[in-house]
Amino acid sequence: MILPRFDVLVPETVDQACAMLVEHADEGVRLLAGGTDLLVDLRRPIIPYHVPRCDGCTTHPEGKVASTVRCEPSDPLMPAGGPLRAALEDPRHAAPKYLVSLHKLNQLKSIQVLGDGSLKVGALTTIAAIPRSPEIRRSWTALADGAANLGSPLVRNRGTLGGNIANARPAADTAVPAIALDGTLTLQGPSGTRTVAAEDFARGPGLSVMKPDEVLTEVHFPPPLPHAGSAYYKLANRKALEISTVGVAVWLALEKPGGPVKDVRVALGAVGPTPILAESVGEVLAGKTPDEKVLGKAAMAAAGDARPIDDHRGAAWYRVQMVELLTLRLLKTVVERIASHP
Amino acid sequence: MKKIVSLTVNGIAHEVAVEPRRTLLELLREDLGLTGTKKGCGIGDCGACTVLLDGVATFSCLTLAIQADGGTVETAEGLAETGKLNRLQQAFVDHGAIQCGFCTPGMLMTATELLRSTPQPDEHDIRMAISGNLCRCTGYQKIVEAIQAAAKESS
Ligand SMILES: Cc1cc2nc3c(=O)[nH]c(=O)nc-3n(C[C@H](O)[C@H](O)[C@H](O)COP(=O)(O)OP(=O)(O)OC[C@H]3O[C@@H](n4cnc5c(N)ncnc54)[C@H](O)[C@@H]3O)c2cc1C
Ligand code: FES
Ligand code: FES
Repeated sequence: MILPRFDVLVPETVDQACAMLVEHADEGVRLLAGGTDLLVDLRRPIIPYHVPRCDGCTTHPEGKVASTVRCEPSDPLMPAGGPLRAALEDPRHAAPKYLVSLHKLNQLKSIQVLGDGSLKVGALTTIAAIPRSPEIRRSWTALADGAANLGSPLVRNRGTLGGNIANARPAADTAVPAIALDGTLTLQGPSGTRTVAAEDFARGPGLSVMKPDEVLTEVHFPPPLPHAGSAYYKLANRKALEISTVGVAVWLALEKPGGPVKDVRVALGAVGPTPILAESVGEVLAGKTPDEKVLGKAAMAAAGDARPIDDHRGAAWYRVQMVELLTLRLLKTVVERIASHP
Repeated sequence: MKKIVSLTVNGIAHEVAVEPRRTLLELLREDLGLTGTKKGCGIGDCGACTVLLDGVATFSCLTLAIQADGGTVETAEGLAETGKLNRLQQAFVDHGAIQCGFCTPGMLMTATELLRSTPQPDEHDIRMAISGNLCRCTGYQKIVEAIQAAAKESS
């Protein structure tokens, strides 16, 4: 069970890391953060049955669901022979000659509330550090909820926020809250830096818009609004060491406690090929008073946006029902929290 | 090509030449002969390989030796004080928390981290803390009792 042969490079700066990615592109090179995804994947040929992996699912050519059909060739995002799928299937990806280990980039390990009240979390921040931050627990609660429920304490101690998002899994427990909280990812490459909205990052299971020579450096969240709150719920068979069957993250802002909805974002995990922003919820809720009936409609809208498949974690129909139930429950929780801590 | 990794293990400084793909677990067991740390799944699921790296409970099977360069490692071998089991180890013995013993070194390290950060954990804290360490024998109850007893004794 030893790992395949590779060399490990240890950059001191992000620029150096990018330069290493460029230099060794032809031989196969991958970034290494906590290694809780990558080192498992590199061992996979030897242990092909490792469970915490999603086998993915599909969208239709028109972007609609084919909920019980396996994706592969008809998936517009990664057709067989398409650039994304080719990148993933490239043998250099599966057996890289070089790993660029980011463990010395201490500058990317911080959690900072900036002068304008916004939050900046470095990509190498461990999952464990996130729920320990009182600011994140208070104002970006859904992110704290997601991190606190990822894997096990040992996974959280090693795994990083950047690794969880960059790995682009549909059930990623911090990616789903990051979308609901309107996070922005900063990607640094050899020719500069760009930002991508969290919901635009993943393109399919394990696939993202990140270029092979880019490093995810930080995730930035807008300042908290008054009368707003968020929450994430991970539905899973066990409390630890389990990938979610359904994950729902809700962020909601009211004009005033009990008053009309100013803005809302609901994100769904494990019910599509990527984490999904449930866009229809905003259309139902905007400007409405969040009573039981309206919230129920919003939850139905969220369920309509889900695109699940049947797999060993749950049937597609069950997942859709759970999206509705959990969305309603979380919306109510957040409305109540706003009422008690306006 | 091998690389030199410098690290302190149970208070002793080591310099070890390792292949880049060598894990911290392999370094401990095969290069240093510290076989107290166990190898279970090799993929982060079981916690048998848990050590403390700079005070943090870490699965050594998914940590490259190179990533521990410059670090301080504590393993089960370092727990006994002057040849005597420490309070936590003794509590595991006294409370029947060891059956086959394969999970024990990992459990001890995880519990050591817990008791340092939370000297008086309640049952929930303990069960959460050990939720990444699998035990196939005890059903966990005796382990929880042992950790509780060790915490009480130190209060
Ligand atoms: C036992 C076990 C249980 C798990 N349970 C869960 C769970 O419940 N929920 C969940 O969401 N995940 C789970 N995971 C998956 C994993 O722990 C997380 O996704 C973790 O956050 C990955 O972070 P990492 O730093 O370990 O990533 P790594 O393994 O180091 O990297 C993952 C991928 O991201 C890339 N990458 C890493 N950092 C960057 C960066 N800064 N910029 C660009 N690319 C980067 C790497 O090249 C690699 O392709 C589990 C894993 C294990 C082993
Ligand atoms: S051997 Fe490391 S977690 Fe199982
Ligand atoms: S005592 Fe046998 S696995 Fe725990």
